[in-house]
Amino acid sequence: MVRYEMIWNIRKKKFLGILIVAFVFATLGLALPPVLSSVTGQAITSDPNFAVTFSAGGLGFFLFALATAMNSISSEFESGTIVPLLTKPVSRTMVFLGKLFAAFIMLLLVYTVLFSYAVIGGIAVYGPQSNLYLVPLTLLGNVLSTFIWVAILLAMGALSKNTLVAALVALGVFLALFMALPIVSLFAGPSPALSYVPGGGASGVMNVTDGTRSIATGTDGVGVNLVNAVLYPAGAVSFSKINLGAMQPGQTIVPFQEVLYTENMSLVAWRSVGVAFLYVFVFLFIAWYALKRAQILE
Amino acid sequence: MELAIETDALTKKYGSLTAVNKLNLKVQRNSIHGFLGPNGAGKTTTIKIVVGLLKPDGGNVKVLGQPVHGDQADSRLRVGYMPELPKFPKHLKGRELLDIYGQMYGLTKQQRQEQIPKLLDLVGLKERENDLIGKYSKGMQQRIGIAQALLNSPELVILDEPSLGLDPVGMVEVRELVKAIAKEGMTVFVSSHLLFEVEQVCTHVTIINRGNMLVSDTLQSVSSMLSGPAAILVEVAKLSTAVVNAVKTLPFVSSVTQDGDKLTVRLTTREDVRAEVSQQITSTGGTIVGMSTQGSNLEEVFLQLITKDGGGKPQSPTKP
Repeated sequence: MVRYEMIWNIRKKKFLGILIVAFVFATLGLALPPVLSSVTGQAITSDPNFAVTFSAGGLGFFLFALATAMNSISSEFESGTIVPLLTKPVSRTMVFLGKLFAAFIMLLLVYTVLFSYAVIGGIAVYGPQSNLYLVPLTLLGNVLSTFIWVAILLAMGALSKNTLVAALVALGVFLALFMALPIVSLFAGPSPALSYVPGGGASGVMNVTDGTRSIATGTDGVGVNLVNAVLYPAGAVSFSKINLGAMQPGQTIVPFQEVLYTENMSLVAWRSVGVAFLYVFVFLFIAWYALKRAQILE
Repeated sequence: MELAIETDALTKKYGSLTAVNKLNLKVQRNSIHGFLGPNGAGKTTTIKIVVGLLKPDGGNVKVLGQPVHGDQADSRLRVGYMPELPKFPKHLKGRELLDIYGQMYGLTKQQRQEQIPKLLDLVGLKERENDLIGKYSKGMQQRIGIAQALLNSPELVILDEPSLGLDPVGMVEVRELVKAIAKEGMTVFVSSHLLFEVEQVCTHVTIINRGNMLVSDTLQSVSSMLSGPAAILVEVAKLSTAVVNAVKTLPFVSSVTQDGDKLTVRLTTREDVRAEVSQQITSTGGTIVGMSTQGSNLEEVFLQLITKDGGGKPQSPTKP
């Protein structure tokens, strides 16, 4: 089943397409600082943690998932190839797991190439990189973040049996979260509830010996959060909002940072992993159940 | 003896439409069983239930003695199935498809290496084994469909409209292929709306219409029992009253009607009595110009049954 799926991914040039998207993303990330540096005249600040904190980002996760899983199940129904496939002595669960495993292998390969590029590019642009042994952890975190969208796309594909519907629903969810969460965050501050929604989550700051680290608690930050949890297990992440203070007639408003709450870095990391797994599990279950119960009318 | 396929009151509904209505189908082992019916009769729906693609709304199915319910991969190990107008992944090469499906059947690499060339040869695709399926013609897709149904040397082969979309040469080849498969000791269950196809290859036949089974028996029984009295049409030169009267005296003749120099001799038997009729005519001075039989083929039976059942459209139950 995995071979069946992998040949499809390779022959349909899915793998190549995702690699191109990955290279575009990574190149943009790497090329932007030198470009800005040449424009502003400021030297590029060295960043020894660039490679271990590298991430494909929310849009990247969505696009990689779209290319990997958009038509994995639905096109079998659309093309009619599901009929001979499901009459072979392979259970529907195995068909589903085969597709899932092939998607995992493909994302793993793509992220391996992407992170190799990020490490080499990071050294070239930001100088020597440290803690490179943590790169596989970031990589797996990125795969997990991507898998939330893979699961959503598979679920929509299995329910609708239509690639276009699956892609549009997933895009709708992505755009809604992409636009709604920053607005919610703007008005409500870094609410802990944001950590339980797919996406960036709540934004916080962690003070470390060599400065500060921006921390995003959502499922998009699984990889980076895991690395930070390993490097700073006792680190405290503070979440604050800008308070304009009490307005007095004739006085100038002096905004100040009001710390709302703090959380341990390990808690932030493991919670993002847990939430990501929960979403992956729920949507994969929906996809599996829909495939298991599907009646093949075509 | 254990049956190859056995359904008990099998029912399938699509909304208010009853596609299969309490079907009791029995397919004997080592037979070539034709499944006949007009388009929309419920043939493909029945087959899809048998192979596990659809769930019935009522009744039971047993395939090779094993009940079919749920997603049982094991029950498909001994069955080969070719869907109606099969669609295979276009990005795979013919040989690759068989190799991947062979893996799914649990065939070892050596078994696949032995079996696949044989099958490609059997279906005449040896020369095109390394072409992408997307480049195959409709006929070639049918052939690879038959090949994949035989990969596991199944005990039961189910072919859903195997000749659909084929040219006359392809149809003849498929018929020969079906006969060859049966000779290998496999049970073949073949659905078709082509009567002559079923008549030429099948040993047993089931006719369904609007989801209901109209008849199911050996081809010989179905052809002979239900078509009414057979008749012989004779064209006679120098036709005289003496000839007509002489034919009437034959013990197996029920009536003789004359239309010009043509006689319609209705019989009380289904035996081949053309020689006796011929001898009677020539002995009384008639010269036979032409002779043919009527009323003993499957087509007539089929039309008779379908007409009795009210045509060929699917059944829509009357609302209370």
